[in-house]
Amino acid sequence: MNSSPAMEPDAPDLVCQLDNVQGMVDALTCVRWKRHQDALVELSEHGIVLIVEESGCLQAKVYLQRELFTKYEYGAEGRPRFGISLGLLVDCLNTFSSPGHSNTIEIKYPGPDMELLLKSVDTLNSCIYSEIRTRIPETSEWDYNFEQAGTAPLTFTVKSAALKEAIDDLEWPGSSVQISLQKSPPCVTFRGEGHGDLQIDFMYYVNTDLLLAFHCDTEVSYGYKYKFLKATTANIPGNVARENRGSKLTIGRGGMLKVQHLVSVAKALAPQVESAGYQPPSRIAYIEFFVKPEETA
Amino acid sequence: MKFKAFLTENGVNLLERRFLPAFDKMGKTCYLFLTKDHLFFLHNLLNGDGVQCIAQFRIDVLFDDYRISSQNDDRIAFSLDVSLLYRAVKSSVSICTEFSGGLASNRLQIKLVKKLPHNCTQPMPFLTFETKGYKSAVIQDVPISKPLSRSQVVELQTALDSAQDLPPTLVQVQDPNQLQNFVDRMKHVGDVLNVTISKHGDLQVQTSTTLIRLGSEFQRLSVVGEKSQAPAEDRNLSAQTRSERAIARGDAQSVQVSVKHFLKSLQCHLTKPDSAFYGIAPQGACLTVIFQFLVPGTRQTDKSITLHCRLPVLDTGSN
Repeated sequence: MNSSPAMEPDAPDLVCQLDNVQGMVDALTCVRWKRHQDALVELSEHGIVLIVEESGCLQAKVYLQRELFTKYEYGAEGRPRFGISLGLLVDCLNTFSSPGHSNTIEIKYPGPDMELLLKSVDTLNSCIYSEIRTRIPETSEWDYNFEQAGTAPLTFTVKSAALKEAIDDLEWPGSSVQISLQKSPPCVTFRGEGHGDLQIDFMYYVNTDLLLAFHCDTEVSYGYKYKFLKATTANIPGNVARENRGSKLTIGRGGMLKVQHLVSVAKALAPQVESAGYQPPSRIAYIEFFVKPEETA
Repeated sequence: MKFKAFLTENGVNLLERRFLPAFDKMGKTCYLFLTKDHLFFLHNLLNGDGVQCIAQFRIDVLFDDYRISSQNDDRIAFSLDVSLLYRAVKSSVSICTEFSGGLASNRLQIKLVKKLPHNCTQPMPFLTFETKGYKSAVIQDVPISKPLSRSQVVELQTALDSAQDLPPTLVQVQDPNQLQNFVDRMKHVGDVLNVTISKHGDLQVQTSTTLIRLGSEFQRLSVVGEKSQAPAEDRNLSAQTRSERAIARGDAQSVQVSVKHFLKSLQCHLTKPDSAFYGIAPQGACLTVIFQFLVPGTRQTDKSITLHCRLPVLDTGSN
């Protein structure tokens, strides 16, 4: 069928193909901090966005832009949205990922009953297929209005592996972590108090391989619930550390914390072709977390 | 009753590296059934639940100097803990290697004995492994159940005979790893597996819940037994529609089995079979998997070793 989908009244909203299912599994697993989570999916001509949220305090978004897909035929008017179980979607996609076999998958929405349709492509004499039920999403938007803190952003970029390790270490002290940005000397401090104290400092100019960028013109300090902070790094896939990626953290007005990761969605190339740390931008999924600060007593 | 034999090097390798690791996963206990010509390992043959696993070895594959006698047509059967047997064979192998450097004089003898263990007033039966070295001997005793009575052996033999029935149609899966990888990951999605096998050589495994349907289809597999051609007009239909039409025509059968049971039967891949054949017994009584071993270096089936599993059916699928 070569006719443009937009011209046919029954054309699906989206038909897309991805040549590396494992990449999508890795990106979505990043935002899977519980076994059962309801996600909101929004489709547009720019790509697919998946959003999960918890108790008004933590929100995560996965951006899969259309350039990640080997085929992306968008036929909808406006931006269709639907609800889906994140755990089910990830576990299902994972069955399409098979070591040593072609991992190309076709995703179509909607099916006859508004399902999300998945099927494997280009496999000789065998195929995997799935239909996942979707829901009508709730009308209330999760409003995490992220605004810049002052005249200039308060932001730093830290090596993702180091951030994860620091947050893992902060599990012991207690249920709350204080993040402070200091102007002089330029430094980011993570502090946990409770069963003992633990303070982790990333000093700009000193740990140049760990703290990759730093911008702060006002000193700030906010507390965040440990379990929400932990959710932002707990499921970063292994390739993020292997590729030496950095995660960017920004503190917005009122102390809202934004954590951004880059996850490679590309197939692993032969070692001599892949240069450490570099991936063409079109092969990266963007992950964003928003964490609300704790109420100050 | 008497049983004594020497395990050959080939026999020890087969058991230690391939078969006992698989049997260890199949279940805690199994029956060992010895006859003049064969040795059987039998899992779950007499109790109703669980995956039945039947392994048959011709005596010359495993043993040298095999001697058996009993008042029951020279048949002996008993049950034992598979992990204890596995451990005994593994450590006997390392002892043999340590003492002999591989000399033939250091052979591994296995025999049925009655011994009086510590803190017991009654002698108990054991399967004993004995390695006689140059200067010393090492003896390992694997406790076993009281050998089965004549009537119990008849019951076992009857169950074994009825378990040997072949399904009318079997499809051959050449790449069991692909199927194993799929079902292993699929277990997070559903508990029940719908298996459909057609005379055209299609095998479909699918799980359905209220929120999701997920399945994998393998087409154009080799068929042993009753076969038929798939109609050309079905070629471009979805897997689901194709199997529904084949079932309606009488060209396919469908049964439901537990995912856990299916995964357990896949543990038989540890025996390193060359391929696996899947079939549904008449009236959907069970799902049968037969593992094929080829004579090394040829395409001929090695008939001295047979291994198959029978999975209980939860509910007969649409017929």
